[in-house]
Amino acid sequence: MSKTIDTIELLSAGLRAESLRQKAIANNVANLETPGYRRIDVKFEELLAKALDSSSKSGDMTEIEPQIYQPKQTAVKSNGNDVSFEVEVGEMVKNTIRHKAYIRLLGKKFKQIELALDIK
Amino acid sequence: MKVDNVFGPIDIAVSGLRVQGKKMEVISSNVANAQTTDAGKGEPYRRLEAVLKTDEETGGVSLQKIVKDMSDFPAIFDPGNPEADEDGYVAMPNVSLPIEMMNLTIATRTYQANAAVLKRYQQMVETTLELLR
Repeated sequence: MSKTIDTIELLSAGLRAESLRQKAIANNVANLETPGYRRIDVKFEELLAKALDSSSKSGDMTEIEPQIYQPKQTAVKSNGNDVSFEVEVGEMVKNTIRHKAYIRLLGKKFKQIELALDIK
Repeated sequence: MKVDNVFGPIDIAVSGLRVQGKKMEVISSNVANAQTTDAGKGEPYRRLEAVLKTDEETGGVSLQKIVKDMSDFPAIFDPGNPEADEDGYVAMPNVSLPIEMMNLTIATRTYQANAAVLKRYQQMVETTLELLR
């Protein structure tokens, strides 16, 4: 591996992204019927992949900030709105799963450090 | 169909839910207009059907198009009606309520089935995450 990646930084960055994504989903659901509203999502996994690919020696995870953007990929209804309730429910399910995974992995990492420090 | 995406079943089930929602829209339009003798251009309302297609890449389903049912309009003998032609017949929409009700039941059950797939898959993944407790 050509990079030193701090696990805790990586997982924390993922958690920040998932928290922001949850806000984005709530915003979409609130605007289910708003004319002209386009659904928003969070750009994170791409930025992460780019940071890991780039030429710097260590992946600095604190620099990756999740960003809100409009994917503009869903079909637009007649009132200019492109939010679909089923899609948002699917996104909520994925969001919960990822959030749980990050939290538990972080917990395991901390336990590992505690073990190394031999804390009783 | 790609099979390496851990969220694949979720996206596929969501596409199923969306498509059944569209089917319900078409059914509700047919039912609401079952008696509309004048839908413009001197013709009664023509029944609509939703045509679905599989998404080869994700394995999900999507709405291909909404087509008009081109079967004949049934004619009802009603000479007193202002819409009647010279022989006293009125052309009615080609909507059959029993068929729409049957389609409604099918769409509802399919929607429930997709929702069950989504829920069960979510439980499966959460069982895996329990290993991390």
